[in-house]
Amino acid sequence: MDKRDEILKIFSINLRKVIGNVDFDYDLLQEIRLRVNSPLIVIYNNTEFFISRNYELSTNRNNAYIVTQNEVRETMEYISNYSLYAFEDEIRQGFITIQGGHRVGIAGKTILEADRIKNIKHISFINIRLSHQIKGCGNKVMPYIVQDDSIYHTLIISPPRCGKTTLLRDLIRQLSNGLSTIPGMTVGVVDERSEIGACYMGIPQNELGIRTDILDCCPKVAGMMMLVRSMSPSIIAVDEVGSREDIEAIEYVINCGCKLIATVHGSTIDDIKNKPILGRLVREKIFERYIILNNQGSVGNLEEIYDERGTVLYHAD
Amino acid sequence: MIGALLVIGSSTAIGLYFSTMTKGRVKDLKVLKKYIFLLRGDIEYSSTPLPEAIEMLSRRSNDRFREFFTQVAAELRKLDGIPFAEIWDKAIQTNMNENFLTDTDKELLKKLGDTLGFMDKSMQLKSIDLYLEQLELELSDAIRTEKEKTRLYNLLGVLCGIFITVVLI
Repeated sequence: MDKRDEILKIFSINLRKVIGNVDFDYDLLQEIRLRVNSPLIVIYNNTEFFISRNYELSTNRNNAYIVTQNEVRETMEYISNYSLYAFEDEIRQGFITIQGGHRVGIAGKTILEADRIKNIKHISFINIRLSHQIKGCGNKVMPYIVQDDSIYHTLIISPPRCGKTTLLRDLIRQLSNGLSTIPGMTVGVVDERSEIGACYMGIPQNELGIRTDILDCCPKVAGMMMLVRSMSPSIIAVDEVGSREDIEAIEYVINCGCKLIATVHGSTIDDIKNKPILGRLVREKIFERYIILNNQGSVGNLEEIYDERGTVLYHAD
Repeated sequence: MIGALLVIGSSTAIGLYFSTMTKGRVKDLKVLKKYIFLLRGDIEYSSTPLPEAIEMLSRRSNDRFREFFTQVAAELRKLDGIPFAEIWDKAIQTNMNENFLTDTDKELLKKLGDTLGFMDKSMQLKSIDLYLEQLELELSDAIRTEKEKTRLYNLLGVLCGIFITVVLI
């Protein structure tokens, strides 16, 4: 099924017609936003557009197609495969992953139970973010993290929206499949927010390689320990580490002889050093490679690569 | 003489037909209750999405309801942009003529379809429970009157036949 069909089949009949008739390149389409009684908005090629009633992209909101409450309700019905009750855990987190790995963010009226969000009802805001895998975006990084038959403990540091998850995904794929120079390795992925593999019913929708096991929607700490015990991975990959428990789990994994690839928010190595808990790991030289990304140019644009002593191994010109 | 026998025979047959209807309805209601119970269990304990859960029902059933569940499951899989309630309703209209359910029973079943699919789990379970309760009422009512009704229909059939023959003679 191509991307167009994957996306269109989650909408109500009316919206299918409207969106389906717009002349898009679905590879450039990033987001589709539905809000009750508001114009239908898409983010296309980094620019926001309204979709007009005559099926065109426009920047003028006067002629924009207005989304009704019924359309949002119906769309939710199709997104959840006619079974909203089956997605309670996902809804509690605010998003559902659909076939193709696209993520649907939702907002509405939250229902609380003992100060915790129990569910969201009257869902009136939907944001569909299309997934884009960029195969090969880790090519530049690979030579720096491979060490003989294994890899270095690696930390990817990047500000939001610079492609750290995209880069992590590609590294996992390449390490798992193996390259001509290195054999494939068993990779365990703890995918807390379903972002790396974008699993739909337990099956990853993004290509993560042939030797990869994924724990989907699993809390990082429990998941990392579980994988070490049950799936004997050579490499463990996690996204967005930071909490005290995360760090303890990282130490556990490293002491078990697994290699680790993790990502963290930040823009320089000093940012990380200054973080109270993660900083300690940096000072103790636990990580052996630091990959720093920036948002200049394409996704996953490399800025610098350091080793554990802070020696610059790569610097963008 | 032959005419008289024919009249009595056919009216008895009509009587038998009605009594089979009554018995059949009780049986069908029981089977239906079983399936909805299974569906409820699937939703409660494994949060199975409806297309899968209903397909499972269609595979388990080998009676009159099979076609119904098969059609619903197939339509759901298509994701054609038709709301669940419409799919359910259409399947009731096309596949529920073979069995002994009355229009009221079908109406109840249709109402169940209106509530499936878009609620959270606890509400979903409650709506199914409500349906099961109504079904149970209908069922116990049907069972209670089953015996009298079948005997009545049988007897009425024969007596009507005799009465008409007497009038004709």
